[in-house]
Amino acid sequence: MNSANEYTLRTQLERSNAVRSNIKKLYIYVVLVLIVAVFSVVKLGQVEFFGRGHFLSPDSIINLLRSAVPILTLSGAFTLLMISGYIDLSVGSAMSLSAVVFSWLILNGVSFLPAFLVTLVMGISLGFLNGLLVMKLRITPVIATLVTLNLFKGIALLIVPHGLSAIKGSATKLMPAWINDYARLDVLLGLPWAFYVAILVIVVLVIVQRKTILGKYAAAVGGNRTSAELSGINAVKLVWLLYIIVGFFAALAGMARASYMSLGDPLSGDGMELDCIIAVLLGGTAFSGGEGSVAKTIVGALIIVCLTTGLMTVIPAFWQTMAKGSVLIAAVVLNHLLVREKVKA
Amino acid sequence: MELTDNVLEIRDLVKDFPSVRAVNRVSFDIKRNTVHCLVGENGAGKSTLIKILTGASARSSGSILLNGEAYTPHSTRDAKQHGISTLFQELNVVDQLTVEENLTLGMEDTTLGFLRKTDKINTMVNVMNSLEPSITPRQLVSTLSVAKKQIVEIAKAVATESDIIIMDEPTAAISESEIKRLFAIIKSLREKNVTVIYISHRLDEIFELGDYVTVMRDGKHIDTRPVSEIKDRSELVKMMIGKTVFEQYTPKEGECKDAILQVRNLSNHKLRDISFEVHEGEIIGFYGLVGAGKTELARAIYGVDPYEGEILFRGKKLPPFPDKVIAAGIALVPEERRSQGLFTILTIRGNVPVMNMRKISHNGFINAGQERKVTLDYIDKLRISTSSTEKEASKLSGGNQQKVVLAKCLFADADLLMLDEPTRGIDVGAKSEIYGIIRQLSKEGKSIMIFSSELPEVVNICDTIYLLYDGRMKATLRNGCDIDSEKILHIVTGGNVTSGDRGE
Repeated sequence: MNSANEYTLRTQLERSNAVRSNIKKLYIYVVLVLIVAVFSVVKLGQVEFFGRGHFLSPDSIINLLRSAVPILTLSGAFTLLMISGYIDLSVGSAMSLSAVVFSWLILNGVSFLPAFLVTLVMGISLGFLNGLLVMKLRITPVIATLVTLNLFKGIALLIVPHGLSAIKGSATKLMPAWINDYARLDVLLGLPWAFYVAILVIVVLVIVQRKTILGKYAAAVGGNRTSAELSGINAVKLVWLLYIIVGFFAALAGMARASYMSLGDPLSGDGMELDCIIAVLLGGTAFSGGEGSVAKTIVGALIIVCLTTGLMTVIPAFWQTMAKGSVLIAAVVLNHLLVREKVKA
Repeated sequence: MELTDNVLEIRDLVKDFPSVRAVNRVSFDIKRNTVHCLVGENGAGKSTLIKILTGASARSSGSILLNGEAYTPHSTRDAKQHGISTLFQELNVVDQLTVEENLTLGMEDTTLGFLRKTDKINTMVNVMNSLEPSITPRQLVSTLSVAKKQIVEIAKAVATESDIIIMDEPTAAISESEIKRLFAIIKSLREKNVTVIYISHRLDEIFELGDYVTVMRDGKHIDTRPVSEIKDRSELVKMMIGKTVFEQYTPKEGECKDAILQVRNLSNHKLRDISFEVHEGEIIGFYGLVGAGKTELARAIYGVDPYEGEILFRGKKLPPFPDKVIAAGIALVPEERRSQGLFTILTIRGNVPVMNMRKISHNGFINAGQERKVTLDYIDKLRISTSSTEKEASKLSGGNQQKVVLAKCLFADADLLMLDEPTRGIDVGAKSEIYGIIRQLSKEGKSIMIFSSELPEVVNICDTIYLLYDGRMKATLRNGCDIDSEKILHIVTGGNVTSGDRGE
């Protein structure tokens, strides 16, 4: 091939890569705006889920943000783990178990703060166990966390008394009303503590990812584990720590849900792993790790919440899971097309 | 069809890579039913030539005649169909299947998807039995030694009527007695109408096995001759290295300083009883061919591979963990730049400070200004040619990538740098720049260990050169006095060390 030809080929390639990287930067915002726009325009009159109808009414927005609390709390930490090239499928079960434990403690007279702290410590130990299996015993992440997914769920189901579907108050033993305070009580602008905690978590994790050694090392390990280890990064410790962080935030998210529903449902976290993965992939993090952004995952999480809430108003419940699955496929395909840049062969 | 005497005729073969011509107008013939050896130093163009023959890589120009007909393979599969099989160093057998299943893999006879026992299996098993009766067809391949796995592959190639079997260093990983057995089999292949192209760094094997030998050097064909016409290995060595012109080495002035690194009786899976010292400001070279144990030595010191023996750094025992080794003051530029040294999807700024983040951070928070400044400093100091600190490392040229890896190690504040193949695959200009950097570092008092399979490289910059062969330290040479490239090549290809070779 002569050099002129090669030159045009290269500039074409560079241009297509530039276009690609711009699309990559912007598409997620476009998707969010589109979804909001579509649900705002669709006439919701016949469907009575929201009562007062409009997707962008203050009431719906507040409802939407309240229901978004668990995924907002959890998906940031999940992103860090995925940037390092690892995954945790047990987050949903860890949430459920935390919800059950938290509710059980409160129902049995433990006050808020001790119950809260005990549950967080439990979340840390769940993450520790995942880290142990994956990093120390070197079990493939998907297998190890699939096993713990079932383990955690099993424990949660065991804690719930026989014959009940969840830990909840009864005629003889009432669940204290203040369990709602964390995730329902309006503290500012109609939103509860749990929401502001989630915002704080996001801010902290965005900073961790962008500005700290932990964030850089996660990207380094995900980018090239061999190089990272030869550069003196202890990948085992680092990823183990990320699993613990994910466990911690899974517990926090689980308690937010328990407080919101004032019961400990052992299935309440089901599907959270899928939501997190969709959010992370929508946010442009490579499935293989190495690059990614907590901030964009949050946008991805909002897309999922809008989609779930919006779909709730227009299509029957049993279609929603399928719709979500389709979005995942779209997200994975887009991620694959955009993340993989063409390089000269 | 009248078969010609030559099974393969290579004419004016050229292979160009972006910065280098790897095969330069090579022409020679390979005679039918012979063992034809191919020798040359690393980078001589052997592997590129083989890749072209096996269809793994396309030629730039030139022609190849196979049995008198034009031959242009598009893939290794295509090459196989034309009758050229290859025995790669990475063996191509499936451990979990039986010998029989491996032999017929990909060529099974079936009816409606069900396997059928046919004569084909018997033919294959017979061929294998004639080569090595001790292998039973129902045996799992995982239970075989490396040598026997090779024999299974050879049997498959013979049974599928290959005209040519290419063997790339088949003796690198097998024991002495197995080598004898393998050689007997290779010799017997001549009667089975098979031509063997044999590549090895062990020159003795060529005299034992070869009918013809082709010598390559710097991408060029030097000579093809019957082995019987070659007097001894030193004649072969001379052909391999030609008149190597070494850049002028200027011996270091000044006295010997303190030993910074002491290695005593280091042994592991690859290394045997290695001892040496590195002094402050000294540049040490480890020279040996592929498989001599250079990389393994670097990895052992760096704490990646386990070892027995003692490694002292500044008088203290070195803990066998890379993070602790780096903290002690040693940094490694690994052999494979892209897969071991660099974070290709990160920017230059993401790469340079990664080994010493503490230096640019406070309580875990990175100071972005310092991070940028440090990166710019090294771009400047090592003259990395890039438009900004934000360029992705994968988009840099090989030489600049290597400089980024070097910058990474320098930023780690190491007193001892280990450079494994520091200039592999980079162009001449960048090479001499990197040599300049290394000399400068040594002047600043840093100690440097270079692990290289390029003789001019170690002779060019190293004060002391250790020769490695088969995991053993074979000789020590002081640079500046009697560097005799022939003698060196003699030693690193497994020749005996005479008393005079021990430099000190």
